[in-house]
Amino acid sequence: MDPVRTFHDLLYGLAVAASPENLMVAVVGLLLGTAIGVLPGLGGTNGVALLLPLTFHLKPTAAIILLASVYWGAIFGGAITSILFRIPGEPWSVATMFDGYPLAKQGKPGVALTAAFTSSFIGAFVAIVLFTFFAPPLAELALKFGPPENFAVLLLAFATIAGLESGDPVKAVLMTFLGLLLATVGFDIVSGSPRMTFGSVALQSGVNFVIIAIGVFGLGEILLTVEEALRIEGLRARLSFRDVWETWKMFPRYVWTIIRSTLLGFWIGVLPGTGATPASFMSYGIARQFSPRGSRFGTGEVEGVVAPETAAHAAGVGALLPMVTLGIPGSPTAAVMLAGFFIWGLNPGPLLFQENREFVWGLIGSMYLANVIGVLIVLTLVPAFAAIVRIPFAILAPLITILCSIGAYAVNNQVLDLWIMLGSGLAGYLFKKLGYPLAPLVVALVLGDMTEQAFRQSLIMGQGSPAIFFTRPIAAFFLAAAIAVFLLPFARNVVRRARGGAVPAEAPGAAGS
Amino acid sequence: MRQAALGFAGLLVVAGIVFMREAARLPTGWTASGPGPGFFPFWLATGFTLAGLAVLVRTWSSNHGQGEPFLPGGAWKRILVVFLPMVGVVAFLHYLGIYLGGLLYLLGYTRLVGRHPWPLVLAVSVGVPLALFLVFERWFLMPMPKGLVLESLLYGR
Repeated sequence: MDPVRTFHDLLYGLAVAASPENLMVAVVGLLLGTAIGVLPGLGGTNGVALLLPLTFHLKPTAAIILLASVYWGAIFGGAITSILFRIPGEPWSVATMFDGYPLAKQGKPGVALTAAFTSSFIGAFVAIVLFTFFAPPLAELALKFGPPENFAVLLLAFATIAGLESGDPVKAVLMTFLGLLLATVGFDIVSGSPRMTFGSVALQSGVNFVIIAIGVFGLGEILLTVEEALRIEGLRARLSFRDVWETWKMFPRYVWTIIRSTLLGFWIGVLPGTGATPASFMSYGIARQFSPRGSRFGTGEVEGVVAPETAAHAAGVGALLPMVTLGIPGSPTAAVMLAGFFIWGLNPGPLLFQENREFVWGLIGSMYLANVIGVLIVLTLVPAFAAIVRIPFAILAPLITILCSIGAYAVNNQVLDLWIMLGSGLAGYLFKKLGYPLAPLVVALVLGDMTEQAFRQSLIMGQGSPAIFFTRPIAAFFLAAAIAVFLLPFARNVVRRARGGAVPAEAPGAAGS
Repeated sequence: MRQAALGFAGLLVVAGIVFMREAARLPTGWTASGPGPGFFPFWLATGFTLAGLAVLVRTWSSNHGQGEPFLPGGAWKRILVVFLPMVGVVAFLHYLGIYLGGLLYLLGYTRLVGRHPWPLVLAVSVGVPLALFLVFERWFLMPMPKGLVLESLLYGR
């Protein structure tokens, strides 16, 4: 690949994207996407799907710019309700809650929002540069990742998340098992038989993690709040642009986390079938292991917002790469966009770069412009978003409950899901009270299907022998890293006991070395 | 607190055994198409049960939370005041739907618990469901459960 030629193409793409019509489409898409991201139940995937029919009247270039902008907007917007109310507006903003919500509770919603938006922007921007210059070779490399490699990477994700909470590691393991178990409910993809449904027909479609997350985090949080007293502590929140500036001043400290999260997120996005959600969780877990501030994660550490947001947005960009270059969607949202390609009469794949230069480079150019415009829009709105936490609790609590119900119902359009949401709200409250960490549950539920598929395919490839995980070098490397990270909290406990108690829980970056 | 922790851990172990039995109804070994459908859930349920047992033993052998009440005084009442209306909204979903149910929930909670003035109470409890109705039903065409009452008002059915 010739960088000069690429640069030339990029300038052409920017010119296409900056045409008044395409620019306007991008702004409309961003605003719509942000709103879709804020509302739980309306996700980037169904947002894009709902707008797809509207694009039939547009030129293909404007159409893909509209859909991509909705996607960027949704990634920005998903963080807002996660940080303010602990309701994930989008699946990939669940990890943002872990530190974003404590920050908001401490009266710093502006800092959390600014950190989320800014790191989203950085992650996306760097990923777009990578996309521009390395798209074809990266797409080839991604195809070399088989089921054993994917399984080992997923195992690393679980290990890092189980080590997340500073509490009891056994409880973290228990919650991981529970999440993976819930993920197996419903039809088995390989054999087609219903599993773990206890004879219920409604359960055959499975337990969607969005419903569980809304229940354990959104409702569970309301129950915890009323237990203390009937209010949410956000009243002291400062509402000014000074938050933006002061958050930016902290960013140089997080440079390694940002670089790591961007590369990790981008790569996970490029891998087929993954996307922004696993990327955000893995990035959070790994940042917690490697950062010198790792022990403060979960208590309102800005870096804990930076890591998942950077990775989620970088993965969002990465997911478009195999779609454009190979015609393989990197995420569910990308799959919906891919459907658009065929409707607009385009064939994705290597030839697309030659045959539809305006389309491909217009899309790439619009990614640069849409992200710059997007971050400016959401940053301007930070004080307005932060003001929402000033709403009195007696109004906020029923409001949150209604939004949770709508979000849970929208997933499958079935009333049973609302009961599951209520039940998991109660369960989440009890878990939290008794010291069972919730993060491993939700992460395992999200990654469960993918993990089981990778595991079964690997065993089939290895004719039933688990040796396949150790004989392939990339898989073996990740597996070793996963085991090291997993044993870390146990080792830490042993060391602490041997030294006779009060040793601060520091996370030495021993993993994978 | 200690009794609650012990009881909850015991409940998890029982649940784990139930999960194992449910998973074992499907083939858990090697089949013609690789590991059977029950393989993954069965071993997960086993791991879950073992972890539950470990938690139970550890809780038993420690005195953590001995004599502490599970909930601070009066918390039961506050929790039920929030939770029971939620259950009510879902239970009457068939008749009231999400919009009317939400309206009543907002109305009751903002007035009875929040003691806000009537104009604010009415503005919020009518405004919010109306706004949600417009967004979901009109613009995004995502039908939410409207309930028999609202359907008959809207469509005369």
